[in-house]
Amino acid sequence: MLLSKTLKLHAVIPLLCLALGFSGCARSADDRPPGALVVALESGPTNLDPRYATDADSERIAALVFDSLARPDRSFRPQPELAASWDAPDERTFIFHLRRGVKFHNGKDLTAADVAYTYRSALDPRNRSPKRGILRFIESVEANGAYDVRFRLSAPFAAFTETLTLGIVPQGTPVDGSGLVGSGPFSLEEFRRGERIVLKANPSYWNGAPRVSGVVFKIIPDAIVRVLEFRKRTVDLIQNYFEPDMLPWLEHNSRAVVSSAQGTNFQYLGMNLEHPILKHRAAREAIACAIDRDAIIRHILKDLAVPATGLLAPQHWAYESSVEAIHFDPDRAKRLLDEAGFPDPDGDGPLPRFKLSFKTTNLDLRKRIAEALKEQLARVGIELEVRTYEWGTFYADVKKGNFHLYSLEWIGVVDPDIYYELFHSASVPPNGNNRGHYRNLEIDMLLERGRREMSIDKRRVIYGEVQRILARDLPYVPLWWWRNVAVMQRTLRGFELYPDGNLISLRRISFATPAG
Amino acid sequence: MKRFLLHRILLLLPTLFGAVTLVFILIHAVPGDPVEAMLGETASSADKAALARELGLDQPVLTQYIRFLGDLAKGDLGRSLYNQGSVSALIATRIPATLELTLAAMAIALLIAFPLGILAARRRGSGADRFALLFSLFGLAVPNFWLGPLLMIAFSIQLGWLPVSGRGGAAHLLLPALTLGMAMAAILTRMIRSGLIETMHEDYIRTARAKGLDERRVWLKHALRNSLISVVTIVGLQFGALLAGSIVTESIFSWPGIGRLTLQAIQTRDYPLVQGCVLTIAFSYLAVNLATDIIYRIIDPRITYED
Repeated sequence: MLLSKTLKLHAVIPLLCLALGFSGCARSADDRPPGALVVALESGPTNLDPRYATDADSERIAALVFDSLARPDRSFRPQPELAASWDAPDERTFIFHLRRGVKFHNGKDLTAADVAYTYRSALDPRNRSPKRGILRFIESVEANGAYDVRFRLSAPFAAFTETLTLGIVPQGTPVDGSGLVGSGPFSLEEFRRGERIVLKANPSYWNGAPRVSGVVFKIIPDAIVRVLEFRKRTVDLIQNYFEPDMLPWLEHNSRAVVSSAQGTNFQYLGMNLEHPILKHRAAREAIACAIDRDAIIRHILKDLAVPATGLLAPQHWAYESSVEAIHFDPDRAKRLLDEAGFPDPDGDGPLPRFKLSFKTTNLDLRKRIAEALKEQLARVGIELEVRTYEWGTFYADVKKGNFHLYSLEWIGVVDPDIYYELFHSASVPPNGNNRGHYRNLEIDMLLERGRREMSIDKRRVIYGEVQRILARDLPYVPLWWWRNVAVMQRTLRGFELYPDGNLISLRRISFATPAG
Repeated sequence: MKRFLLHRILLLLPTLFGAVTLVFILIHAVPGDPVEAMLGETASSADKAALARELGLDQPVLTQYIRFLGDLAKGDLGRSLYNQGSVSALIATRIPATLELTLAAMAIALLIAFPLGILAARRRGSGADRFALLFSLFGLAVPNFWLGPLLMIAFSIQLGWLPVSGRGGAAHLLLPALTLGMAMAAILTRMIRSGLIETMHEDYIRTARAKGLDERRVWLKHALRNSLISVVTIVGLQFGALLAGSIVTESIFSWPGIGRLTLQAIQTRDYPLVQGCVLTIAFSYLAVNLATDIIYRIIDPRITYED
């Protein structure tokens, strides 16, 4: 036909050929190595070099490829990994005795020189590592023979053990992301940023070879598509990356196994303590009493959270169990406001006692939470003006202290020294994250002691007191700790949820029947 | 033709300069600090100041702008804040995927629009015409973020014929290309239909018929060719829009192209990468417009640009 000659041959076919030509160059997205596990991620890691990995995905995947001196257990106490043991001859010196016979994926022995090199290269300002900030207390790190590493600190610093999770790379590894070799249960085979990461099992791993042949992390930005991929069985496991609303559908439509456990990510309501109303403790307590956390958790978060008492979750070794959750009590909130000199001008009428703004991001879930808070605070006479922003604008405002109220979450809390960063009067921005400008001399002294004290038992007492004072002063209103949820195919065995969401149990995971 | 080309390229230069300047201003206006993005919030003030000095961020904006133009002239788009890789190299790895998707979307749009548009024009007022109008209404009204998942549920989950997402062979390409090309198919169908209907009333069509030419030849050779100018305009504009608009489709289908890289760069506050991606999209748009102008000239040699 003339039509086909004119259109298909002259215009369309070349376009299709070109498109398919490019397509022929692409590797199939369903390339699942036999026996490998496929895990869906939302945005994926930005950098897998442990000296640069700071986002949650980067750290979780890097932990599968690179071993570190120690790794926190479920209660966040450091447990030996590459270091078989360690001594502290004085408050500023730590000597780590490395496990022998550990090899990198390239077959080279892992020695003290590699550990010293890794830490030194992260500390070298020329390398611009984002880990340099948290390693700043390390004055020197030296290899003492082949298997001993000596760290010297500039001052006693109890949270030093938090830095032991830095993944170790072989001596001489460049900082441009090339040649990444670790000694962990999996080796890095392929890293296509924003697309996929392929790990291969390390059969000679010192702590037992993984049971799957490898792991493919598939980056699927859209929440619905992640669920559809799971439904089609091209994805075996999703941890946390789904909207609360999707969970019931997944349970009923995909024969999925859903498991959940309390996590440590802490959602809070931040307040500007320099605001003429919020500087009154009674006003802050009234806001805390006016919030019905249970209702928000039940109806908006679909029970994927539990009411929080403070920053540290109950699993943490320093958690103070005597601190009670703030109960929803609107009558008490009204009474507190009346007593603090903020009477309701017209009783139950439309006029508010006062007006505050609440800043949050423009994500759907955040907006729904903000609307619920607005409604709940309105019932005690507080008018909340909800302002939603794109993340960058929102976060810039929070860091500048340009807010009345905002809500954010803390993730990856390991050592309680984080309280120093959040509530010490010396940590007001730009020197730290005391964004609400909270000042309390007693807290300052306790946090300084907690930072210097090396005994875990004495630190527990100090931070217990810190938690009690903060629960009384309420510079933050604790909202909830998020639960970690994993959805997996029925054939999977051995996956464990960790409080901080790490994926270290992937080395013990297996398929009941062959994958695919 | 040489003079024509030179004229068009000269006209392109101020537009390019404007786009580059706009991107520079926008990147400097958005909230956020590239130094903090690189060194993290725990970095000391001294380290942050040293890096700002090293990157020239402590210089006046005008100095930074001149340096930016100089680097750009050398093809240097800077380095990604996160993996230290070259932005140009990162973008280069994503261009094939975006071109593949865009070309396939264009091909699908043409394959749908030409037969449907011609059929609708030839049988004006018939069921086929009403279907074509309904189709174009649907194509224009349906957003990609809704159509994509709908196609996935139908063809990947229910029928099991195609993969859900990702880039691979031709099977992976079909659903994202259809999603991206649907709006363009709708616009083109309408354009072809109305263009043909209008052209069929021209004198030369009556003459062609009077000469005793076969009706199909009249429609396809005389009418269609003469109504192509407006279609080429739309195809050119839409092709540029497809390149820029693939952000949503690429995100839905986990397609590793420029659109997704842009979104990822925005989410991770990777400023040099955002800048590089936006410039690439702007340059592609301008290049497509230039190509459209050249095609005009080939289709209709009477076209000149001397006002």
